[in-house]
Amino acid sequence: MSSSTRYNRQIILPEIGEEGQEKLSRSKVLVIGAGGLGAAILPYLASAGVGEIGIVDHDVIEISNLQRQVIYKTEAIGKSKAKEAKAMITELNPLVKVKAISEKLSGRNAISLFEKYDIIVDATDNIAIKYLINDACLVTHKPMVYGSIFRFQGQVSVFNYKNGPTYRCLYPEENLNAANCEEAGVLGVSVGIIGMLQANEVLKMILGIGAILSGKILVYNTLNNEQQKYDFEKNDFQTITREAFEEKYNKCEVEEVSFESVLNEMDNDEVLFLDVRNVDESPKISLKNQIQIPLMHLESKLEKLDKKQTIYIFCQSGIRSKIAFELLQKHRFKNIKSIAGGALVMRNLLEEKKDSHEFTNFIF
Amino acid sequence: MIEVKYFGAVAEKTKCEFETLSFSEQWSLEKLLQDLNEKYEFESLTFSVAVNQKIVSKTSDYTLQTSDIVALLPPFAGG
Repeated sequence: MSSSTRYNRQIILPEIGEEGQEKLSRSKVLVIGAGGLGAAILPYLASAGVGEIGIVDHDVIEISNLQRQVIYKTEAIGKSKAKEAKAMITELNPLVKVKAISEKLSGRNAISLFEKYDIIVDATDNIAIKYLINDACLVTHKPMVYGSIFRFQGQVSVFNYKNGPTYRCLYPEENLNAANCEEAGVLGVSVGIIGMLQANEVLKMILGIGAILSGKILVYNTLNNEQQKYDFEKNDFQTITREAFEEKYNKCEVEEVSFESVLNEMDNDEVLFLDVRNVDESPKISLKNQIQIPLMHLESKLEKLDKKQTIYIFCQSGIRSKIAFELLQKHRFKNIKSIAGGALVMRNLLEEKKDSHEFTNFIF
Repeated sequence: MIEVKYFGAVAEKTKCEFETLSFSEQWSLEKLLQDLNEKYEFESLTFSVAVNQKIVSKTSDYTLQTSDIVALLPPFAGG
């Protein structure tokens, strides 16, 4: 079989064999960040035959990335990292199922994404997102393979492995000030080495071989080749429930859209415009798919709303719609947005469009 | 004598990767950290502390022993 020939050199390792290869092909790994670390991790996971790889990165390739993000070609400058990384993997090993996710990881998408994978790899370059990944891994019970760099030093560890110690056990103080590569500078080989150590932990975990860096942080110095391992313990106070996660990450982040950007969805039956003003307020806005529930009654009338629909909330000027947004969010509505500026902005825009005869299906 | 190792942004502040310090009377880990903070002004830098390769609480009342190795490990952010 061509696939066993492809993987022959690792299959003949007694620690791996056909059985190990089977484990690899059944595994699903999500790599967050397709920068310097990701560029080292991704090709090795793909070529080893990891069955499914997800790549999360919302950035585009810049020329200053190329000295360390070695999977990208110069001609790809300006293109999506996630998509380019996917194309690279598909060329390298078409047997791998790859998903490019060109979105920013946030409290909104982290949990649903993590649930689809077995192992989460942190190849990101800022501290805030590392806490987010840690917390989402805790909620979804996934191991987090951590790597990070400061100049010629790198750190590697595996958090939440079989309920083991986490990033918060190691770094309980959430200080977001540490410098990234952009600010501190880095040589490509340094991120390559650390990324490779992360990929190694991923493969060991899938194969069930060796000792995982759980409860241990490896610190590597590329200038003198010294490496140290430090032990740390689980702190049961540093855990997080799903409710606490939602509270922390999804509370005040109201997603706003401009009315103009959703005008073309006015006739879409999957979409609902929710007016949270009182009935006596004007200007009146009457769109085809619209419902009016004043904010004060909203919580008691949630059954009138369909969670599957995209709901655009508006009020008079965009303040109450934000409160309504938070309320719906609390009740686990996912596809909701608040219309910036509210009915006043909407009226003006609809009048403009009416004058230009673009729309006729509304009344004041 | 004890040895103190510095990593990442902490070593940038101390301008050295390690130093040996001697002490004559009882010296707790907490006091050592206070002294280092006064000397180097770590300010907003956060770090975890290890004694003999094991991360410990910064406020532990551990009394330093001769030949202990203390390490200051800040989180790194690059990638």
